[in-house]
Amino acid sequence: MLPELLQGIESGGLLIIQDSASYSGRHLLQSFINAALNREEAVHVLGFEVSEEELKDGLRGSPVQRLHFHNAYTDPLGWTDHPAFTVHHFCLEELARLVKQTSHSKPATLVIDSLSWILRHVSPPDVCKTLQQLRKGGAVRAIIGLLHADMHQRGTVGSVCRLATSVITVAPATKGDEAVAKITKRSKSGKVIQDEEIFRIKDDLTIVIQSKSSQPGAKKADSEEQETDPTANLTFNLRLSDTEREAKEKLALPFVFSKEKKTALLHSGPDPDDDLDV
Amino acid sequence: MSSVGKPSAERSPFNNTSFQKKTRSKLISIPGTRPSVQNGQLLVSTGVTSLDYLLGGGLAVGTVLLIEEDRYDSYSRMILKYFLAEGVVCRHELYVAAAQDNPDDILQELPAPILDDVALHKPPEQPRLSCEPQDGLDAMKIAWRYQNLPKVQTALASSSRFGHYYDVSKTMEPEIRQAAKCHRFYLPEHPTQSSPTHSTMLESYSALLKSLQEVISREGFDVAAPMSNSRNILRIGLHSLGSALWGDDLCCHDNPKNGRALTTFLYGLRALLRTSLSVAVITLPSHLIQDRALMGSITRLCDNAIALESFKGSERETNPLYKDYHGLLHVRQVPHLNCLASKLPDHKDLAFKLKRKQFSIERLHLPPDLSDTVSRVSRGELAGATTVASACGSGSSGNKHLDF
Repeated sequence: MLPELLQGIESGGLLIIQDSASYSGRHLLQSFINAALNREEAVHVLGFEVSEEELKDGLRGSPVQRLHFHNAYTDPLGWTDHPAFTVHHFCLEELARLVKQTSHSKPATLVIDSLSWILRHVSPPDVCKTLQQLRKGGAVRAIIGLLHADMHQRGTVGSVCRLATSVITVAPATKGDEAVAKITKRSKSGKVIQDEEIFRIKDDLTIVIQSKSSQPGAKKADSEEQETDPTANLTFNLRLSDTEREAKEKLALPFVFSKEKKTALLHSGPDPDDDLDV
Repeated sequence: MSSVGKPSAERSPFNNTSFQKKTRSKLISIPGTRPSVQNGQLLVSTGVTSLDYLLGGGLAVGTVLLIEEDRYDSYSRMILKYFLAEGVVCRHELYVAAAQDNPDDILQELPAPILDDVALHKPPEQPRLSCEPQDGLDAMKIAWRYQNLPKVQTALASSSRFGHYYDVSKTMEPEIRQAAKCHRFYLPEHPTQSSPTHSTMLESYSALLKSLQEVISREGFDVAAPMSNSRNILRIGLHSLGSALWGDDLCCHDNPKNGRALTTFLYGLRALLRTSLSVAVITLPSHLIQDRALMGSITRLCDNAIALESFKGSERETNPLYKDYHGLLHVRQVPHLNCLASKLPDHKDLAFKLKRKQFSIERLHLPPDLSDTVSRVSRGELAGATTVASACGSGSSGNKHLDF
């Protein structure tokens, strides 16, 4: 499902990439930026964690004319007199103004690197409100955010991911440069699709899907099939032939009344089994 | 004596005799309600017949039902829509409040009622065992003593059905929906200013409570309002209360700053409901609330409380034992209204399944072990197995072919 997400997020969608200290999701974020730029969309990046040079360095070879970087790296908390972009600018009016300044024909995609920085300094209900307003308003077409799940409390991560239409959780895989992505996508009709894929990001920021990780249930079935069949090699016969089955059906069961037994009960006359005179 | 026969129009306001015509009953008859057989309370249907059975026949008027949402809010939203659709079909008034989605969107997704008269008069469906043999009960040759015993009832149903069935694959016709009066509260449309006073309730909750109070008094749902011939019920649906979009940090922080905002709101809501002819259903994302004591006090403030746990995304999804069901349903609280003890459900292990024409809640039971490869794992192991690895338990190994 990762390639479909790369091809485009639906309008009004919020994609959240959840990563942790063991595997950084920034490469995946750069792949998404690259894919959006290749689709000739305008991309606005709010950069809190990496500087502009570092981001553009990672995006070598992509058409960066449509990439607008808003510098929140040098002074995110507004300690100097003229900060470029601070965490307190993360509200609907400021962002709409920013995006409108560089207006293009197509509505833009907003990339937030990272949401964790904002969540540390702005209260989570306010961040959620702004994200929801951005989704519903028409200022940006789609939002992609990077969230470091191990930096926040579970409730905070859960609350933010509740607003998202798609959540990708990345974790390291067994091999070196591969990673496991767990994707949850919520469609407009309320249907939830989940998927798990192993992928690798190449140097030109395209994604190669190695394989879908196998379900643990399937693995167990394989090992169980190798068990020997306990009903083989027995000294007694477990199966019935047809004549034997017929005879079994005909047998009168002990506690069921039948004609023969009734007569036997009523007049206990000469019963051939009763000739034991000991 | 002769004044008895006079028509009442001619009678003077001050009666000459002490003869009073005996009125049939004090109970107001409102369409879509019925008195409870247990305690005489006026009940409405929640839209889901199995849920009505669980709650003791229906939802009592003047009470609150709390639904703890499943992880992706699919089934709790479905039950809310059933509740509102039942209100439309019974011609009650609706009040929908939401912070995330526009209430109009929720109202447009209501399921279509199955208004087939033939289906309505059908006798209640016989519950079926999941493994009923196809040749029927006549074929009991050896265990013939069990032939005449009643079948195990897995689906929850009562003898008299109250409520309607809905088809979730279709949405309700706009004509039917527009016939019902709906009041809406969409939080982004109510801009709140941060008030300087330190109130325990948030502005969003106070605005909601004020709006509810205003609707109840204006539309005449107050019990104290003058008795007119036609009374109606107000069905209130509050979606995702307590989530971050309501401005509450209950779900975001382990130690929320406004820990008591939601509980204050629920207290005020209950006071409002007890003095009016209304019923409320609230959904709450309880899986995000870390403070269990707070969750306990929220549960106590609501009269009925159920929790939904869906299998989607958990390891139980692939478990063959749960393959017939979509999730588990836990009953957290049953009300005791005007009585000392409440009628608890007989079975505590319940599972739900959303079928096209019915949301059924059934007792979860182990299917018989018919194949060689399915290992018979006991339910106790399943429930706690994932988090606790006991040294002597064999839950994690799974090699259960030769268990004697």
